[in-house]
Amino acid sequence: MKLDDTIDSLRQGKHIPEETVYSLCLKSQELLMNEANVTHVDTPVTICGDIHGQLHDLLTLFDKSGGIEKNRYIFLGDFVDRGFYSLESFLLLLCYKLRYPDRITMIRGNHETRQITKVYGFYDEIVRKYGNSNVWRYCCEVFDYLSLGAIINDRIFCVHGGLSPDVTTINQIRSIDRKQEVPHEGAMCDLLWSDPDDVDTWSLSPRGAGFLFGRNEVEQFLHKNKFELIARAHQLVMEGYKEMFDGGLVTVWSAPNYCYRCGNVAAVLRVEDDLDRNYMIFEAVQAQDGVGNAIIPTKKPQMDYFL
Amino acid sequence: MDRQRGARHGINTIQINRAREIHAQTVRSRIPQPTAASSTLHSHDCAPTVPRYRSNNPNNPPCAHCGTVIIPAPKATFPFEDTPSITVDDWTITTRKKPILNSQELDQWGEQLSGLTLPEMIFGNSYVQIKNEKHDLCIQFNALDALKAVKMEDSGIRVSYAHKWIKSKREQQKTSELHDSSLKIAQHYDWTYTTKYKGTHAGPEFIRDDSTELPLDKLAKPDPILFYDDMVLFEDELADNGISLLNVKVRVMHERLLILSRFFLRVDGVLFRVFDTRVYVDFHENKVIREYKEHEGEYNAILAKHKMVHSHDPKAVLRDSNWVAQQLPLVKRECEVLELNKDSEPKCEENP
Repeated sequence: MKLDDTIDSLRQGKHIPEETVYSLCLKSQELLMNEANVTHVDTPVTICGDIHGQLHDLLTLFDKSGGIEKNRYIFLGDFVDRGFYSLESFLLLLCYKLRYPDRITMIRGNHETRQITKVYGFYDEIVRKYGNSNVWRYCCEVFDYLSLGAIINDRIFCVHGGLSPDVTTINQIRSIDRKQEVPHEGAMCDLLWSDPDDVDTWSLSPRGAGFLFGRNEVEQFLHKNKFELIARAHQLVMEGYKEMFDGGLVTVWSAPNYCYRCGNVAAVLRVEDDLDRNYMIFEAVQAQDGVGNAIIPTKKPQMDYFL
Repeated sequence: MDRQRGARHGINTIQINRAREIHAQTVRSRIPQPTAASSTLHSHDCAPTVPRYRSNNPNNPPCAHCGTVIIPAPKATFPFEDTPSITVDDWTITTRKKPILNSQELDQWGEQLSGLTLPEMIFGNSYVQIKNEKHDLCIQFNALDALKAVKMEDSGIRVSYAHKWIKSKREQQKTSELHDSSLKIAQHYDWTYTTKYKGTHAGPEFIRDDSTELPLDKLAKPDPILFYDDMVLFEDELADNGISLLNVKVRVMHERLLILSRFFLRVDGVLFRVFDTRVYVDFHENKVIREYKEHEGEYNAILAKHKMVHSHDPKAVLRDSNWVAQQLPLVKRECEVLELNKDSEPKCEENP
């Protein structure tokens, strides 16, 4: 398999044969297997939030932020579901990972699970594109090997969702057995799911499961681990990013015009050697190219005689 | 298409402005010119009558000869912040579709809806509105008023694995420092965003009459649709435990219009809710009927019904609110009527 050819095909949104996907997934697993639960990354680096299968916007992201050939990236998860090109987006990142292993870190998001992808689009996309679910199964195997977090220059903690009451130090993340489907509770679950909110202490979500954390939890975690920032994704932000708790936590969102209808812009966060933060904002690609061909199969409002 | 992409580096403002310009041109070019050639632009019979309605919907331009709205419209729709409307007799129907709220707007809404953790997507500047100028009647469907109707108390509903989750945390508490207070719910609002919203109404009052039915026979007729829109007002995936969605659709025909505002809730493994508000207007009779229905049922009961019909993808149909609504038991129905006198001064009449 020629990696560069596959990258080219993926960038054009072309169909990738099942065998190619299989071998890509296998190689990625080997590579990811040797990564720690929390990887260490050096500056300068670009932190990217949710992608959700918006391949063309992912290409814009790379274009505008300098490209994988010359830059380091951390992706905070949620590569799949919702968009029309979940497979291509995820595989492109895997190919980059295989091609430039030290330039890209992929963290697991709450959508990188069997249960969630069955409901929110990735599974359907695979069945539509391949007529069976094999490719979905290969990808889910890879999901189980994705790391849970990253630390930049020992100063910035990157995670998909947020904090967990079971995690006060990074060593507690290191001791998690991550190679499994994301469980419904525990540290691994919290890291992928929890949300910051206006609460005084750890509190139960009104849904009856899952934690909310507030300013105090963020400040304690930062202080204890000598961090200055928690960079996370997981929540849609109209402006592409949102800093909270006096800049101690930031939400980065990298799927512009989410679901092809929210009208939001996207952002990535570039962290320089002196830990200066630069947000790069970008807009969604147009639904059609210059000659009127559809790039994104937009759902046209269909008139129906609803009752 | 790759050739195109290779040539540019991302998208800059100039390109976006250009795209918008092109769109404006497309819209303008769709409007038929009153020339001999225009008859070839669309294929309906131009009746030499004065049209009863005027429309400025750029997506469905009117015929230059007879004013009839051309359906289907010429290709391509870019919903760039236009506010299309149509006027039929005294009635004006307007819709607006805008992006989700920005941070500043969210902060303002947060103050207005104090205590409510807002849904993930709020299309807070979108609405569907019908107005009768002569009778000062206005009915609007918008997200803010819908969210104001969300109860600020514990709904009692929990996600399917909540019991297991709490149990395991209680176990864990014996060996960790996790406080009791952390296993309590600090915020008191209905996290399912269930809303009994029937629209925001100003003007003459409706009169309750549950015996009235919507004229389904008339609505089922395939009358030409002059104006159509479909929009989401708010949506939340309940942290991937299902979906909570408020959607509004409107269709305007020659003689009548129908609005359907549907609240759809699915809590995976727990329950379904479909709360529908329908507003029907008969332009001839100047009669408005508002029907409100609540459907609710257990998740597994609905899933079981479905398995008999399909088998390969059991989850797909659970996203289809129409299918779900048909399966759910009706819990409540209310109906209201408003008759506007056409010729004399505005006044409400008792339904006979």
